[in-house]
Amino acid sequence: MSKRVLLHVGTPKTGTSYLQDVLYRNRRLLASADILYAADRFDAHFLAALDLMKLPWGGLETEAVGAWDSLAAKVRDHHGTAVISHEILATASRSQAGRALESLGHGSGTEIHVVVSARDLVRQIPAEWQENVKHRQALTYGAFLDQIQDPERKSRIATWFWGVQELPDILNRWGHDLPPGHIHIVTVPPAGGPRQLLWKRFSVAFGLDGLDLDLEAERANPSLGAPETALLRRINRAANRELAPADYRPLVRELLAHQTLSRRSRSPRLALPPDVHPWTQQVTGSWIAEIEQRGYDVVGDLHDLLGQPPVEKYADPDHPVERQVSAAAVDAIKALLLESARLRQSEDRLRHELHETQVALERSYLRPTYRWREKAVRRLTASGAGRGLLKAYRRARGRSSRPA
Amino acid sequence: MTPRSEEDTPGVRRAWGWVAHLLDGGTTPWRDWKGEGPSRGRVLPGAQQLELLRRLNLAGPPSPALATRVVEASAPGRGRPDLELAGAVDPLAFGPPPVDPADLPDDELLRVAAGILADDVVAAGLPDPPRAATRRPWARRYRLVGDALLADPVRAELVARGRPPGGRGSVILVLGTDLGQMLAHAWTARSLAEGGPGWRDWLDPLARHRTLPPRIDLVRAARAWSDRVGPERVRIVLDPTEIPRLVGVRRPLPGPPEISADAVDLARRVGQVLGLLAVPPRRRALLHETLLPRLVAAGGPQLVVPDEHADWVHTRAVRMRDALLRAGYPVHGDPDSLLPVGRSGASEPSDAGALALAMRLVLEEGRS
Repeated sequence: MSKRVLLHVGTPKTGTSYLQDVLYRNRRLLASADILYAADRFDAHFLAALDLMKLPWGGLETEAVGAWDSLAAKVRDHHGTAVISHEILATASRSQAGRALESLGHGSGTEIHVVVSARDLVRQIPAEWQENVKHRQALTYGAFLDQIQDPERKSRIATWFWGVQELPDILNRWGHDLPPGHIHIVTVPPAGGPRQLLWKRFSVAFGLDGLDLDLEAERANPSLGAPETALLRRINRAANRELAPADYRPLVRELLAHQTLSRRSRSPRLALPPDVHPWTQQVTGSWIAEIEQRGYDVVGDLHDLLGQPPVEKYADPDHPVERQVSAAAVDAIKALLLESARLRQSEDRLRHELHETQVALERSYLRPTYRWREKAVRRLTASGAGRGLLKAYRRARGRSSRPA
Repeated sequence: MTPRSEEDTPGVRRAWGWVAHLLDGGTTPWRDWKGEGPSRGRVLPGAQQLELLRRLNLAGPPSPALATRVVEASAPGRGRPDLELAGAVDPLAFGPPPVDPADLPDDELLRVAAGILADDVVAAGLPDPPRAATRRPWARRYRLVGDALLADPVRAELVARGRPPGGRGSVILVLGTDLGQMLAHAWTARSLAEGGPGWRDWLDPLARHRTLPPRIDLVRAARAWSDRVGPERVRIVLDPTEIPRLVGVRRPLPGPPEISADAVDLARRVGQVLGLLAVPPRRRALLHETLLPRLVAAGGPQLVVPDEHADWVHTRAVRMRDALLRAGYPVHGDPDSLLPVGRSGASEPSDAGALALAMRLVLEEGRS
């Protein structure tokens, strides 16, 4: 049974990919400090979260069958500290959170700590819409904003958004029967601050100070500008029907969004519309007041959650500057051409290899000895005695080459 | 910190009293409930779970074990989280607003019911496999393609009779029927395999683009096989009574499963949850071999293409018929049978119907 479990349950777009990447790549070093990050693949905790919440995810869920119970068993078998981290855990229901905590040893002597990293809504709202677009959604930014501001929150978009973003509610679901001191809120520093500040906060919350971890990130979730997101939304509208999820992920999300469009850093950034800004301040203000009352451990400053003032020059992705979208589209076409060329070369190479294999095979078939042997085997298999002889020969030769 | 539903207030005590009432088989709606009771758990169950249990009590009664499973269940997949009861807790500045459970849409209750039914299907497991018949080497070689709902049961039956598909020189039988029914079949087959969107979300974009899903595009299927094996080995089969003769058997072969529109939608929803409970081949087998027979037995009106789509489906069917005749494939059956015919049935599944069916199946399982 683990002595201590640090359960990081969100929220998305708060540096979680970076944190998980560091934990995964340093899992052996962590193990030497008696800290378990139980993952045999970088997305192991993501699959466990899908399994816990019975959440379909474009077919990936088929790899998640039994993943939570398997992760929980590893955590229970460990005798030191264990870390679990995935941001979609933020949306777990009360009963799912209860099941998760129980499976990790809550109530049986294990000290459970819930960690939530949080960022201001001023950045989270555009980031969540962009994340939706990167997951095949084609709804406009305006429609997204309308749905999340609807007090009824009945739409799937609004349900998901508030499920993973509404800090006091997430903490209610995950932490209501934990001591306040076992609940840690890591606030994401304002944009433009020291680069390592967020990691320092994570390091304090997870007790990783003093460990010589390799902090070079291999995986990140880079963001796009306003025209690039507008382009991606149009691509979704045009290609969603024809493009299977298994192809969308490598071609659109990875190649176009992450590897190509995210590099266009000089285009106008996606931002919160200035007229929505006062509403976010009101919502966040009520959260801060609630959290201050509860006495949680805050790593950082709760007032980081208020975010920056409204932008002066707002680039509306629903009415982008077409010249900028065209420039992004040219980059996208170039990337797809290069990828097509690479695949063509790969296809040519494979075709050549296949041809060489076929030639070699035909050559071996054409040898007289092969034809004699083939004839002999055919005759022998036609009679019982012949089959017996063949069997004896194969046994004497020492390996099985029985026909299929 | 104490969350709203764990405070010891008259509203929370009233809610726990209602939970106890429902677990005892009660059917009083929340808004009429006045009693109180002590806390029975870590958190109050969600409004969706409690309303589902009330409806099961009305339709049931459910076993005590099933009642407990319902209140402890969580709605799988995306959707509204477990909701608080209006009147049990005061609305705060955060969290989803509390609701009167009677106002919840059937879709929300169906999410919970589909999760419970998926657990039942997994627990029931697969029926014993039929004794494999000895392969008959002299059997006529064939492959069945086209409408999956027509082809799959025939193929399964032939395999059971020792006549698996494939082999050198196989004749390709492209199975089809009227295009309206093939569209309903395609969505049904998809719902029983990889799942996907609801009927209208699947059909309406097809209508907008006037396209067909590849599996029921008989022209495309015939052309693809013709390119592979030559046109002389491709047959279009529109009359199902011709299939036994073409595959060389005497006894009749099974037709497509007669499954109601609501049942297909329920299978689609259960399949989504099964995706997280079983690996893909087992998930498909559980849907086809464990759930499907129960859905077929339930009966109900079958799915038909809504009238508003009649024109484009007819145009597409005419084009398909002409293209197949032009290509010169032998056609077994009347080529005009590809044209849609008016059928009675349900033009779309209803959440209420799928929920009623889910509750019926869950109650049956609880009693068995």
